[in-house]
Amino acid sequence: MYIVWIIGVCLTLSFRSFWVNHENSTPTQHTVAIKGMQFVPAEITVKKGDIMVWTNEDLVEHNVTAAGKKNWASPPIVKGQSWKMVIKESSGYFCSLHPVMKGKILVQD
Amino acid sequence: MKKLNLLKKIVLLGCSAIYCFPAFTQGNPTLSDEEVAFVAITANQIDIDQARLAKEKSRNPQVLQFAETMAKDHQAVIDQASALVKKLKVTPKDNAVSRQLLADAATTAKKLRSLNGKDFDKAYIDHEVAFHQAVIQAVTGLLVPETENSHLKELLQSIVPALKAHQQHAQMLQKQTTSN
Repeated sequence: MYIVWIIGVCLTLSFRSFWVNHENSTPTQHTVAIKGMQFVPAEITVKKGDIMVWTNEDLVEHNVTAAGKKNWASPPIVKGQSWKMVIKESSGYFCSLHPVMKGKILVQD
Repeated sequence: MKKLNLLKKIVLLGCSAIYCFPAFTQGNPTLSDEEVAFVAITANQIDIDQARLAKEKSRNPQVLQFAETMAKDHQAVIDQASALVKKLKVTPKDNAVSRQLLADAATTAKKLRSLNGKDFDKAYIDHEVAFHQAVIQAVTGLLVPETENSHLKELLQSIVPALKAHQQHAQMLQKQTTSN
């Protein structure tokens, strides 16, 4: 009887752990529109591992480039196209073709 | 004396761009949609031509990148406008405003060609600030109010944010070229 109880507790914990981890490992997708020469929204809060998608709704070509270290950048994004990236850390970014266009990603723990 | 002449050239460059469009907006010319389309295409082509000149003459990486962006963005506007007028079966028509623009652009290009190095960069960027300001005023104060076709009006309105971003970009470079 004692062994059955132990197995039951272990199974319950395993399932709980599986579901919690499964839930945590499902990334959320966030979309930023590039329109009217702006990133909309300009500031976004996400979780580590979430996916960001930038969609160009403008007539002209844009890109998304990390501010400061410039350690990541998209290729040119033409009208109607999107680019996505998994977010690992907070970062400011801008369009290097139009440096007045700026955005910010905040990673919440 | 040489410096004074150079300063006069730079001031004139800015002024020619500032005053060409408002002279028309104050005179309230009447433009048909065909003429509005021609003015819009001409203004964009002028900035592409100035960008080509900058790519020939400048060695400043930031000025070269700005010129590349101007050439690409204004070509995108021309392509969109051309596709729209084709769809609307409108034939862009030469007019007094577009002729004046071309005459001013020829004067500006001549003056820019006479400058080199940092003097060229400064004059080109100063011109871009003034030109975009004039175009923004012309689009919002003349071309949009004169346009009857809603699709053409919408296209003109949609390019204003890009014109403003170009002007702000040029102003950023203007501060850098002034501080260097």
